[in-house]
Amino acid sequence: MKILNKYRFSIGLIALLLLVLPSCEEVLNEPALNRTFNVEIDYTISENMVRPLIGVYADFYSRGWETIPLIAVRGDDVNAGGLGDQQPFADTDQFIYDQAYWMYNSLWQLNFNDIYTGKTAIQQIELYREAGAPDALADQYIAEVNTLNAFLLFHLTRVWGDMLIPRTADPTDLLVAELSTKDEVMQYISELMDESIPNLPTIHPADRTDVPGGVNRYTALAVKAMAEQELRNYQAVANATSEIINSGVYQLEPDFYELFKLKGKLNRENLLELQYSDYGQGSGDANFHLYAFYGPQGWDPAVEGIGGGWGFFEPSLKFIRFMLDRGESVRLETSVLFTDRGIAEFQDEYPNLPDFVSNTTRDGDVINDYARALFASGKHYLPSNQITPGRTGYGNNKNYTCIRYAEILLMHAEAVLRGASSSAISADDAINLVRARAGMPEITGATLQDVVDEKFAELATEWGVRYYDLIRWEMYDELNYDGRTFTPDKIYLPYPQNQVDQLPVLDKG
Amino acid sequence: MKLFTRLLLIPLCLLGWGAAQAQATAYTGVVTGEGGEPLIGVNILNKMDASGTITDFDGRFELQADAGDTIVISYTGYEPLTYVLGATTQLEFELAESAELLEEVVVVGYGSQKSKDLTSSIATIRSEDIEKTPSGQPMQALQGKVAGMQIVSAGAPGDAPNVRIRGVGSYPGSENEAPLFVVDGMFFDNIDFLNNNDIKSISVLKDASAAAIYGVRAANGVVLIETKSGNFDAPAQITYDGYYGIQRAQNVVKMANAEQFTTMALESESEADISFIENAMQRYGRSRINPNVPAVNTDWYDVIIRDAPIMNHSINVSGGGNKAAYAVGASYFMQEGILDMKNQFERFNFRTKIDFKATDWFTIGGNAIISNGNRFLPDNSAWFRAYYAVPIMPVFDEKNTGAEPLMLSNAQDLGYRGGQNPLVSTEFNRDEQKIRKLLGNFYVQFNILPENKLTFKSSYNSSYTNINARNLDFPYFIGNNFQQENSVIHRINDDFFNQIWDNILTYEDSYGKHNLTAMAGTSYRDEAFNQLEVRALNFPTDQEAAWYIDQAETLDTDRGNVGDNASRFYGISYFGRVAYNYDNRYLIYGTYRADGSSKYQEKWGYFPTVGVGWVLSQENFFNVSGIDYLKFRASWGELGNDRIQASDGATTTSVVTTSLGDIQYSGTETSNTFSALRWEVVEETNVGMTAEFFRSRLSLEADYYSRDTRNAAINVLIPAVGGTVLRNVGVIRNSGFEMALNWNNRTSFGLSYSVGGNFATLNNEVIDLFGQSYIDGGTAEFRQRSIVGEPLLAFYGWEVAGVYQNQAEIDADPIAVANNLEPGDLRYVDQNGDGVSDADDRVVLGSYLPTLTWGANLGISFKGFDLSANFYGQSGNKILNRRRGEVIFTNDTNMDAELATERWHGEGTSNTFPSSKGRRKGWNQRLSDQWVDDGAFWRIQNVQLAYNIQGDKVFGAGAPDLRVSLTADRPLSVFDYTGFTAEIPDGVDRQTYPIPAVYTVGLNVRF
Repeated sequence: MKILNKYRFSIGLIALLLLVLPSCEEVLNEPALNRTFNVEIDYTISENMVRPLIGVYADFYSRGWETIPLIAVRGDDVNAGGLGDQQPFADTDQFIYDQAYWMYNSLWQLNFNDIYTGKTAIQQIELYREAGAPDALADQYIAEVNTLNAFLLFHLTRVWGDMLIPRTADPTDLLVAELSTKDEVMQYISELMDESIPNLPTIHPADRTDVPGGVNRYTALAVKAMAEQELRNYQAVANATSEIINSGVYQLEPDFYELFKLKGKLNRENLLELQYSDYGQGSGDANFHLYAFYGPQGWDPAVEGIGGGWGFFEPSLKFIRFMLDRGESVRLETSVLFTDRGIAEFQDEYPNLPDFVSNTTRDGDVINDYARALFASGKHYLPSNQITPGRTGYGNNKNYTCIRYAEILLMHAEAVLRGASSSAISADDAINLVRARAGMPEITGATLQDVVDEKFAELATEWGVRYYDLIRWEMYDELNYDGRTFTPDKIYLPYPQNQVDQLPVLDKG
Repeated sequence: MKLFTRLLLIPLCLLGWGAAQAQATAYTGVVTGEGGEPLIGVNILNKMDASGTITDFDGRFELQADAGDTIVISYTGYEPLTYVLGATTQLEFELAESAELLEEVVVVGYGSQKSKDLTSSIATIRSEDIEKTPSGQPMQALQGKVAGMQIVSAGAPGDAPNVRIRGVGSYPGSENEAPLFVVDGMFFDNIDFLNNNDIKSISVLKDASAAAIYGVRAANGVVLIETKSGNFDAPAQITYDGYYGIQRAQNVVKMANAEQFTTMALESESEADISFIENAMQRYGRSRINPNVPAVNTDWYDVIIRDAPIMNHSINVSGGGNKAAYAVGASYFMQEGILDMKNQFERFNFRTKIDFKATDWFTIGGNAIISNGNRFLPDNSAWFRAYYAVPIMPVFDEKNTGAEPLMLSNAQDLGYRGGQNPLVSTEFNRDEQKIRKLLGNFYVQFNILPENKLTFKSSYNSSYTNINARNLDFPYFIGNNFQQENSVIHRINDDFFNQIWDNILTYEDSYGKHNLTAMAGTSYRDEAFNQLEVRALNFPTDQEAAWYIDQAETLDTDRGNVGDNASRFYGISYFGRVAYNYDNRYLIYGTYRADGSSKYQEKWGYFPTVGVGWVLSQENFFNVSGIDYLKFRASWGELGNDRIQASDGATTTSVVTTSLGDIQYSGTETSNTFSALRWEVVEETNVGMTAEFFRSRLSLEADYYSRDTRNAAINVLIPAVGGTVLRNVGVIRNSGFEMALNWNNRTSFGLSYSVGGNFATLNNEVIDLFGQSYIDGGTAEFRQRSIVGEPLLAFYGWEVAGVYQNQAEIDADPIAVANNLEPGDLRYVDQNGDGVSDADDRVVLGSYLPTLTWGANLGISFKGFDLSANFYGQSGNKILNRRRGEVIFTNDTNMDAELATERWHGEGTSNTFPSSKGRRKGWNQRLSDQWVDDGAFWRIQNVQLAYNIQGDKVFGAGAPDLRVSLTADRPLSVFDYTGFTAEIPDGVDRQTYPIPAVYTVGLNVRF
């Protein structure tokens, strides 16, 4: 009896198990948890179409701190500073290139990464469109993404020359892509902007309520103008800039100094800027750019406890002398933070130095001597008394301007002086608008040299405008300053070693 | 009557001194071997009441028993003897050495096998060897003991060592290279929760044939852990085991002192650096010995390192009657870290295991382990910061009056970019983890046919792990750019609940000379993970009771700071095994497992294995004197690896926020690549031999294996944008030869000794990358490359030929001229001889995997003393000294003394390191063999001297036996590498926690 019981029980149990287990097999088809699979996004909710676009802006704004200085450092307007540290950055300033240097690779990767983020966002927007989102709005969002991507690609090709054009949303497609010449890339950018321009809004970025500070038609026109300028296609530059000027959407900010402070946030002068904010709160969520790279070391801020900088971005003595010689005041004061040690370098040459040439800024921040550099960048400085109480980082809450109206005016002036016809204003008028704001006297019969000088004075330390102008104008001698020797083979940086290893098409050696 | 004495005995034993039983007769005896030598530690068990004793150093024993009781005398390696007590109270026994060698039973997956029946490579380590190592990590005790298993020590309290069995089959870095740990049937990623005293044995299933029964989880080998259990019909045994000791940092890296640092700065020709020295002299004064050096000379490693205590206490009670067997234990382990901050690990473990023969046809049992750990993690950035902090700065600076809460010095006051002071790592944060683990196993076993020929076992195993973390950052102000404004509290709660339900049917029978074991089973697996985390700012820092999110001022809701995450995987498996042998001469073995997993798009994998063995010594014609046993074996098997991360199988979208017009907006970002993964499949062939010589005094185990990982999931760099994506794109091969040789002997005058050694070679090679010639890994600046025909993730860079000594050498070398080099700069080997030094001159500089590992042991015991020593060594591996290499990111910081003293500073001064000026140039900062060092080392792993006292003899009847021991664990490590340790899990040394030496005093008491 007992034996029978046990068999019955055991066999029954085993049979049960054999039945139960296969029926469990469907758990193998359970999806991974805590992921939003794109197939599960409800694309019929059209108002969510803006979300991928905002993601693109978020990515665009989170630029690495090293990328813009690397783009800008080679001009005669600015020096590496930072002596004793980041030697290859300083070497780059001296036109000695090291393709293994991490900053090169970083600039490359960050720009490409953002371009591809944009590409996938476009795919998402298309999915919303297919599901019924308004056509025109989808077109507009795609045009905005393309404008930002064009801006990123523009800088890549200016820095490295021949470049890969990302045409699909999959970066592995670059493995089989061919290099395009810089001219081909600029042409591509110009055409991409032509496609985008009709789809973009015409109101000032600051007036946009859907995406405040977002791209508009004139941003795309500006990027097109910049590309055409690199192609030396000045009529196209004049046409694009004329359209921007004629729109009347933009005005120069009367106070040049404050343009680079909090007042510059979404200013009427700006066509494109990187936006940051602490949302007016002393702690909690915030998005900031790391301005410390540009700032002075060991300063005595007017507001105690505000952090200083690292001293890696030094306006050049050449620029300061140029400005003093021109009798510039507001633009020099805005562009340079002086140390006593720096002032001593030129004091003897200028017996009547203006008052603002001092180690104390108008807001009372004291720039102490520090070993790495003689001067720090003023355009990347936010006075300590403009920092939201509770925040302590150098430059917290300051936006980063990418393209502003003054540059458009000066590009326009140059194009006209080079023989292009304008449908807006004359070269003289364009230059004088910029000069007047800076408190400089009017000029008449402007020459190309006047444009060269005006751009130097107005746009120094901004985005390498000066360096790439000198390259375009082939004014290589200007780069031979303070012991530097520039030769045309130094125009482009070598491709980052890391990229050459992955993309054999870059291996020209 | 018996019952009464038994009941009486237990409390008495617990009290310590058992009173002699009044009614019983006192028997005394002596047990010897065949040669008449006394046998020590022989078990004498009274079968009637499960009481017993063991023999002393002279082979003598005393036993209280009644005439007519049956006693069993048993000793490993000898035939057991049964004897019925009579009137004679003076007894003598001579034990015969066991004719049946290798009777040892080895735990294999879902069952056990006799060691002699094995056709695969399995190594087993017993509790005695595990308990000798004073460590909170049982696996640490296995270092150097199993040929082919590499244990890379971890120094920080609570950190589990890195375990590799036969090289690396899966692409490292995704935590998928570790073996599977099976504790009493439950799967784990490591066994950091067990106390050394909890473990009865550890079996390492080294080859695919042994591991294949675990199918999908077995690709990197399997480690089976059996916790202590009681024996049926065994007397209660109560054991206390404990030690206390200190840990001391070894091989502390010698840093450049203030004078050397000053010299380097002055020679750098960098005005900025020279001015920083000046600033230091102004601020802190000039040295009286050398007035050109600041009067500060801080050795930062000395500041952050301390001696730290370690201790362990455990109590085990085990035994059993004829119906039940039990083992109950408790332990407490505590270890402080040698990093001078709140850095420690404490763990209480409780466990109980019970097996109960309910009837003659079914047995039930259960096993529970509760582990309650509390861990304060080190901030390892301190190691890195201490390397870089300049020595010309004091720890505290009275002039830094604004600093709070500590008046710490600030390198920015001297002009440096960073504040540098390493004490910000150790003073202003606290990372605590409360780790609770609960392991529960329950089983029922039916004996369906008589004599246990057919059994069915259903077992449910579960493990629950909760890690409750509280990471705190405290505010400080040292300077404007060296401050933390807000206190931050970050709480993370991780929950893991894993369940396995196994059902196993086993048939075992013999027909004449045919012996068969067959097993079939199913397994259902469910692994669930949940995580919740919250971060908040500004909590009351001064009262510990207020360190909660509720007490904080603001929630920090930025992305990534508040999270809710989960994962859940399911697995279903069907498996079977057949082991057959004919006359113990010809062995055949095979298993098959079908595994289903929810992790991949491809759901099912199938994993077979076969093994054969030939016991030559069983053949009639075999008659070689001196050889007792000789077996040749060969096996082949396939395994799967599902520990690589789950693949998304589609692009995914995450939420991001940004500010637009000073308003926070949230948007989405969509990935542009995704992983679609399949199983990694491992295929391994193993051939080996097992032999015993000279009456089992000498044993030999040798194996050769070759293991290929197909469809290896490799992190492929995404071109242009950076980042990686996992793809099944490679074939990786590990192959090697392993040998273990042991000699042990007992001499007639009471001395016994053993000598043993093992070694393993490893050849790790990338066989195929699906058409590509290489795949890059590491980072852009510290390149590691997997090249077909080379080891996985080999360091890849330039080879240094020396240092240019003078201008003539520069002028003579077109490479030097082309790169504007100066004397004092490095000369690189022009590998392709094209007269240009560029990326094409890079070569493989070595691998982080050792090609040879070896271990040796020595044991001597005589009378009450025993001495044991273990040694371990490895060679053939390289270490990337990233501490040195990170000069590329910041080059005005301190360096180790060797770089300063061995710098080039004039013709003939050095041919290894560049000049101080050169050190700052990009040319000299290329990834080269100046940063890739030899990782070979050897070490005295463990030395223990112990004295055993037989309680009965010294203190009188009933007194416990004592063992007092002195242990030095890892007291000496010898290597060339400039680092605290040559044991770097991935070969990249940036801030590895040092491996301390441990010196302990231990006590073992046994009732």
